[in-house]
Amino acid sequence: MRRLRAKLGLALLVGAYAGALYWVLTRSEPVIHRREVTIYFAHWQIERGPPDGINAAIKRYEELNPRVHVVQLQIPGATIYPQWMRSNLAGETGPDLMEWGAWLPGQKDIPARYFAPLTAELAKPNPYNRGTSQEKIPWQDTFHDKLLAPKRDSPDPGQIYAVNITESTLRLFCNVELMKEILGRVVVPKNFDDLRKIFAQVQDYSRRTGRTIHGLAGSRDTTRSVAQSVILAPLLGVNQRLDDGGTLYLYNRQVLAAYLAGRWRYSEPAVRAGLQLVRETTNAMKPGFIQLRRDDAMIEFLRGQALFFFYGTWDATSLRRLASFKIQPMKLMQAMPDDPEVGRYVVGQGGEGMGETSLSMYLNKTSRHPAEALDFLKFLTSVPGQQLFTDASLWLPAVNGAVVPEAIRNFRDYQEGISFGQAPYDMIGTEVGMNWDRNFYRLSGENGSAEKFAAALDAEMPAAVRQDLKAELRATLVLVKPQDPVIVGWAGLTGDKARIRREESEAAQTMSEGLALQMKLQLESAK
Amino acid sequence: MYPPRSILPLLLIGPLLAAGAVAPAGLDRAWSALADSRPQDVLRQLRRDADSRADRLVWAAARIGAQPATDANMREAEVVLAELETGPDEIAAEAAYLRARIYQLHLNEPDFAQAAQLYAELARRQPESHWAQLGLVKLGLLKLYLLPDLADPGADRLAAAEALLPRIHEPLLRRDLELQIGQAGIVLHQPQARFLPHLIAAAQAGGITGTAREDLIVQIGVLSERAGDWARAREYFERYLADYPTNVRAFTIRQKLGKVTRQLAQEGGA
Repeated sequence: MRRLRAKLGLALLVGAYAGALYWVLTRSEPVIHRREVTIYFAHWQIERGPPDGINAAIKRYEELNPRVHVVQLQIPGATIYPQWMRSNLAGETGPDLMEWGAWLPGQKDIPARYFAPLTAELAKPNPYNRGTSQEKIPWQDTFHDKLLAPKRDSPDPGQIYAVNITESTLRLFCNVELMKEILGRVVVPKNFDDLRKIFAQVQDYSRRTGRTIHGLAGSRDTTRSVAQSVILAPLLGVNQRLDDGGTLYLYNRQVLAAYLAGRWRYSEPAVRAGLQLVRETTNAMKPGFIQLRRDDAMIEFLRGQALFFFYGTWDATSLRRLASFKIQPMKLMQAMPDDPEVGRYVVGQGGEGMGETSLSMYLNKTSRHPAEALDFLKFLTSVPGQQLFTDASLWLPAVNGAVVPEAIRNFRDYQEGISFGQAPYDMIGTEVGMNWDRNFYRLSGENGSAEKFAAALDAEMPAAVRQDLKAELRATLVLVKPQDPVIVGWAGLTGDKARIRREESEAAQTMSEGLALQMKLQLESAK
Repeated sequence: MYPPRSILPLLLIGPLLAAGAVAPAGLDRAWSALADSRPQDVLRQLRRDADSRADRLVWAAARIGAQPATDANMREAEVVLAELETGPDEIAAEAAYLRARIYQLHLNEPDFAQAAQLYAELARRQPESHWAQLGLVKLGLLKLYLLPDLADPGADRLAAAEALLPRIHEPLLRRDLELQIGQAGIVLHQPQARFLPHLIAAAQAGGITGTAREDLIVQIGVLSERAGDWARAREYFERYLADYPTNVRAFTIRQKLGKVTRQLAQEGGA
């Protein structure tokens, strides 16, 4: 009996083993289905909206491409993202696709060192646009602004390194109920003087009622944007004066070089008038705003302690989802030639362009899957990909052909007028920006004035401007030098692709080299 | 005991590889690595004293591009390039060009005069070589901004670069120097009539990409307007608006287009 049981046990064991073996060899599948390729997409847009929009596009992309998995990495911006980006890129552990912005302090060299140009791909139609209004149109031309910022921010004037995912602008977000309470009705400011009057009425209301209410929610971050907007009108004439080359546009290096050559000063009347407008605007914020961040300003606005919150339309979705009151976005109008305070320095209507796309995504040079990463970028910036993004995020699409949701349609109502593009005189370089921030207390508050601030800046800026122009020169050379072996490499390869890449590289290198030599000349002649 | 005959061809692959019988594929990998900004891979793959001239050229180019970019490494590359430069072929021209680039750009203390001399010698020795032609563009840049000494106020910098143009027969390279002469004219505060024709020549050659193209079209329009050449201003403003209708500059350019069109109508040229 015992022997029979032992035999039965052994038979069962053998049977189970044979069954398992049969199952493993013929039927089994991995418990977790792994895709062949995983690509990582990193950005700092952790506001409400974009992560949802990007996820919607990823979901559809993965359905279309079963072998590819896309992972969205949401890295907090401001202080963390730059360090995270730099350390990962230096260690060759960076994600395949990364967001980058020209304004990130100390990160100017990143595209030249770590990102791959997309120029050649951008000249071809985006295959994911097949069957849409953008079919057969070169990828670059499908973007609403034809990629203005990636061209402007390119370290190399002949190359484009990024594509943009959305479009944004700056708006005054108004607490409609609070405005009715203070002004008795909704008043849309038509020029800066109207805004000035609204600020005065808010101050008066606060004093009469004893309620702490400010005209504008305050923070260091939002102050930068306000300053850059309001300062522009009196500076239009200065910009025109500095535009030797007739580009109707000023690059940082030109503004820096012009300062070094003594062609403009913060204390000259037109620039001081711009500073005066910044002072008027920041005086509508609560004391101590310079120590606060964007989120603090948003909380102040959401608590009903400020009538306006001024920042990008990128915050609109968060505001809409978090506010308990109705919000109306309005344009921050610039001072006009008839402005009672600074009108004599204003040469015309300032404009905000025709919309500028943003959220620039770059392809990491050391990506393990560059073809798949590029393919995902193409999908995300195709008409179907952008429709998914904009519907789920309520952020504007970057490309033509995607239908803008009703709720955000008025974000594309831009103020037409004269614009010199990127010429904010506070952010033309890292050192200049730090000097501006360090002295800002001289501009705002009871003891501040445009004169004191301008005098302090002009005392410190010559050295800072020189440092920043040197940094521009270094960043350009970082791009120029490695091109020599690259050109030799393309020259050694056969075929049209190699020839075209060599020709492009040679032209781009010569242009960048020319810019570097111009900066060198400007630095040396202003000694 | 002998291996079966069928295995013999397989056993021959090793020696064949060692003898460089499949070198072209290996060299292609090296060119690709250079083009892909991976000079360290080339240095791992090739030797400085490789048998083939092409291998040694690629090695030297990789030495220039690899980090750390020390003067010692540049001198090491230069020794190889100087030896290659003595030949009669395209590799010799390429080596001479790279040698000039070391002096112009890659040494910690550049020697612009030496770079200029090397470019000039190359152009005299092999004038139709692509590398000599490219070298003339770089020589033009040196003459525009650095040579002779910046302290010489009387130097006609544009003229020195302009003199090189007839010697550049490759249209794209000629275009690049035209563009540089035009831009230098602005920075050096030359009279507009002196540099605007160069900008126009560069635009007419075509093929300029990115923001450089946008800037160039606007520049020619605005500078022509400043010079009272309304017809040319209108041509370039119209071209700009057709290509970049949503750019921030479009508003101003529309205003300017209206103005030059009115001028043309007044003068009967519309």
